[in-house]
Amino acid sequence: MDFFLQLLFTGVGIGAVYALVALGFVLIFRATNVVNFAQGEFSMVAAYLMVVFAVDLGWPYWLAFAIAIAGMALLGAIFNLLVYYPLRNRSYLPVLISTIGASIFLMNTVLALYGPQPQVLPGWFDTPGIQLGPVYLDSQYLLIIAVTLGLVAFQYWLFERTLLGKKLQATSQDKEMAALLGIPVAAMIMITFVYSAVLGGIAGILVAPVLFVSIQMGSTIALKAFAATIIGGFGDVAGAILGGFAIGIIETFGAAYISVPFKDAFAFLVLILFLALRPQGIFGERVAEKA
Amino acid sequence: MNARALPGLLAYALVAVVFVALAATVKTDDYVANILMQAATYAIAVFGLSIVLGLCGQINLAQAAFFALGAYAVGLGTADYRLPFWLCLAVGIAIALAAGALLGVSTLRLGGHYLAMVTISFQQILTVVLINAIGFTHGPDGVSSIGRPALFASGQAFLALAVAAFAISGYFVWRLPDTRLGRAMRAVRDNELAASAAGIDVFRTKVTAFALCAGLGGLGGGLFAGGFSYVSPDQFAFSDSIVLLTMALLGGVSSPIGSAIGTGLLILIPEWLRFLKSVPGLYLAIYGAAVILIVIFMPDGIWGFVGRLFRPRARAAPAPAEPLALRPAAGDGVAAEARGPGASGAGVVLEVRGLAKYFGGLKAVDGVDFSVRRGEVHALIGPNGSGKTTTLNVVTGLYRATAGRIFVDGVDVTALPAHKRTSAGLARTFQNIRLFRSMTALENVVIGAEREGNTLVEAGHGALQSRARAALEFVGLGSRAHETVPSFSYGHQRLIEIARALAANPTVLLLDEPAAGLNSSEKKALHDLLDRIAAEGLTILIIDHDMTLIAGVAEHLTVLNFGRRIADGETAEVLRQPDVVTAYLGAS
Amino acid sequence: MALLEIEGLSVNYGEIEALRGVSFTIDEGAVVALLGSNGAGKSTTLRTISGLIAPRAGEIRFDGKPIAGLGPRAIVKLGVAHVPEGRRVFPGLSVRENIMLGASNGAASSAAIRREADAMFDLFPDIRPFADKLGWTLSGGQQQMVAVARGLMAKPRLLLLDEPSLGLAPVIVQAVFQIIGEIHQRGATVLLVEQNAHMALKVADWGYVLESGRLALGGDPTTLWSDERIRDAYLGGAQTAGRR
Repeated sequence: MDFFLQLLFTGVGIGAVYALVALGFVLIFRATNVVNFAQGEFSMVAAYLMVVFAVDLGWPYWLAFAIAIAGMALLGAIFNLLVYYPLRNRSYLPVLISTIGASIFLMNTVLALYGPQPQVLPGWFDTPGIQLGPVYLDSQYLLIIAVTLGLVAFQYWLFERTLLGKKLQATSQDKEMAALLGIPVAAMIMITFVYSAVLGGIAGILVAPVLFVSIQMGSTIALKAFAATIIGGFGDVAGAILGGFAIGIIETFGAAYISVPFKDAFAFLVLILFLALRPQGIFGERVAEKA
Repeated sequence: MNARALPGLLAYALVAVVFVALAATVKTDDYVANILMQAATYAIAVFGLSIVLGLCGQINLAQAAFFALGAYAVGLGTADYRLPFWLCLAVGIAIALAAGALLGVSTLRLGGHYLAMVTISFQQILTVVLINAIGFTHGPDGVSSIGRPALFASGQAFLALAVAAFAISGYFVWRLPDTRLGRAMRAVRDNELAASAAGIDVFRTKVTAFALCAGLGGLGGGLFAGGFSYVSPDQFAFSDSIVLLTMALLGGVSSPIGSAIGTGLLILIPEWLRFLKSVPGLYLAIYGAAVILIVIFMPDGIWGFVGRLFRPRARAAPAPAEPLALRPAAGDGVAAEARGPGASGAGVVLEVRGLAKYFGGLKAVDGVDFSVRRGEVHALIGPNGSGKTTTLNVVTGLYRATAGRIFVDGVDVTALPAHKRTSAGLARTFQNIRLFRSMTALENVVIGAEREGNTLVEAGHGALQSRARAALEFVGLGSRAHETVPSFSYGHQRLIEIARALAANPTVLLLDEPAAGLNSSEKKALHDLLDRIAAEGLTILIIDHDMTLIAGVAEHLTVLNFGRRIADGETAEVLRQPDVVTAYLGAS
Repeated sequence: MALLEIEGLSVNYGEIEALRGVSFTIDEGAVVALLGSNGAGKSTTLRTISGLIAPRAGEIRFDGKPIAGLGPRAIVKLGVAHVPEGRRVFPGLSVRENIMLGASNGAASSAAIRREADAMFDLFPDIRPFADKLGWTLSGGQQQMVAVARGLMAKPRLLLLDEPSLGLAPVIVQAVFQIIGEIHQRGATVLLVEQNAHMALKVADWGYVLESGRLALGGDPTTLWSDERIRDAYLGGAQTAGRR
């Protein structure tokens, strides 16, 4: 039972990271109807920025964090301008392929600049964690869960309670009409990309102390986060978050009770099963189309 | 296969034989032979992508995994189990086909992004298995001393075999677009809804495309394993799937020539850029950037770009179709008899009973009954939002009924999917025109004629073509058969859509607001066309707001309001009923 | 003085000349109907005025200022609201949210916009019960009401209405035209594109007729309506939606 609770905590913690990256997916998907296959690379690049500033240069952690987040905002903006914007009037397929190209580019540029050795990033807190009854609560996992919940609340407020959120949604549903109403469409899309890059970056920085910082960390996280968005029903914020936690828990328990080498395969198996049995996700489609 | 294809086949065979002979005889050094071997086997896998992506518009990000299935079947089979090469190759292709079909079945109902994701998942799972199931796959060390068939034991002979396989699969992919299956794939790519309304099983078509793609991947992989005698998991990673995809995109997904060009270039360029590999990652970074640039600046790939410069604009106008009158079999009782007894009961050909369709709490259609009699023009009218189009969509199977039953010729079709209802004899047009826009008018109409259950299908290609031509002639567009859809005006596109439905030889023709968006002269032409169709004895169910048109063509009216039937009967009589006048025409 | 002046406007779609030197003016406070058969260039004219299409040649002046070539956002900020063909209600937003977004050309606070949107339901009482329903669940007529209400939220000096009657049953068409009449009463200037010439000329002060991208005729409704040539050539299908 103790082991079970400990695993559950770890699963929720890692699941929170998937949930954060999944939020980034959902945002960009809702704004552009495109899945950004380079979403995970935002996490990877942010983690490397932390390694450079906090470890290699030895600057204070908060300063490195601020620089990394600013860097991610900039990367999100550049990404929008070079990878998405030129293709905005084409079908989803070219855009999807373009984001895959961007993913390969980002991974290998970091590889060329930094080399293949995995790096270590220390956690934010000096205290490693606290013992709560039978369960040891790692401080970094606690931080991950707290930040995720905070960002989720923020995003819900943004989309459902503000006019800006409604303008973002309107842009995602009909760009030409949004422009006719005076909504600055290009700015809305830019905001979306910058915000999702920052979200991905935060996820990467939070998870880096738990994993190694490596070139592949982004794509691994992103694939699972994507699985989470599908399990949650595409484009659904609450579903993506639940899906993220579900994937984290499944994978932690799978590794503990079934097989460690095949850990990475569990999320995908669950995904394929889910698609076969309940393709509309946990909550089902949000907007149905009338033919 | 039709006669027109024969000269093309001969020319192709000649070129292919020359290339195979060259591969078999000309002595090259190992380096060049390896590059050729890689190019030929990769190109076969890329052909597969041109089917799934180019023809059918679906994505596959796991072609390297299917390639791996073929490669490992040959590798493990010949090296560990001492099985004959040909058997292993066949098993490898079969496994890849089956895996592709299974993967397709699990996700192809969902479309784009899901498919992308699931194929990536499959790719990742396979890589994990290849690396970790060491007892079976030898893990990261890979499989060596892979066997070859006795006849092709030398490297040179095996290269000739690979080139021959390349040529044969290339021919297959080249010819595919003009076959029934290929047309169905293109129809699905252009407009899924219209494809299912034209009687195409969209899901099965996609799964077939996907399985063929995977099968070609397996073939390429099996030959690859034989050619290099060694395979390992890192040769078939996700990045290799992307390489294969990029080859298809760079060359142009719409043609096997494009696939071959793309494959050749992306195998040669890395060789030229070998010096870049001294910095790890640099080469692939450039690769990634190149993918973005290709997508942005060369959307149709190199061959698409070249092809646009040289392709003859349009084929010459065809000789006029034989003056075959369009005489739908539905009205003359032949089809009815074929459907067995009870079919012609009381002359009712389409019967709708207690039909309901709710969208959440919105009762779009709420218990509607009506019967369409054979040979009659029956109109469904009502104020906007009264549920007319929803009724038509439920009748043709685009929506599932919440309650109620639908009978065509006495057969209950309520549970059938849209394409099966087309086979049962329903053919429809759409309010907002849905044509296959990349195809010619004739191809659009041929697809209509090709529906399952049309007796002409067995009569062969020629009969279908002439049926389609006759249908186009009937709507007055026979001379423009070979122009593609976008070159037609809105009104003419509507006529093509009607011709597509007519060519299907339907029992009932369902028209959803055919007059919408037409100007007055086009409306008049439409009126004449409907009169001519009705004169042929075809049963029509029509929805429209143009009361001049409706009063002119319809013998029977069913009036809906707020999802319920408020009147039903002979046209003139219904139009006199006071509640119809107030509900529909407005109080004056 | 004319609120909108169009001079020698030409627009191309690829190689097709959609408009070829169209000139006309609209006076402040008038309702002007732009008539013509399908493909004559009516929608293209509206889309060019609102900035969705850049003209190849010609000048568009709104309140004396040249606006040709500006983007749709800049133009709606000047006070030109475009209610496009097909309603284009955001399917995943509620009716109230749709209407509120109509004020995106201004700088009013969110609370003020909400109050204005609620006030808009007085003009469109039929859609008040659906205020919190998602756009896609509405019928075509209700969507048209939402689209017009959303357009009015921009407080336009010029309202461009593209085929408001398209696909609507006669009784709903009459309701829509009643609203156009009411908007006119309140002093707004309206440019109305319609196939349903009968209804359009009933509410309009002036009509123009486009033919294959050129302005063929202009005049007051009685003159236009009594001209046999015009009835035959352009208004043939007009009695369609009227009473029989």
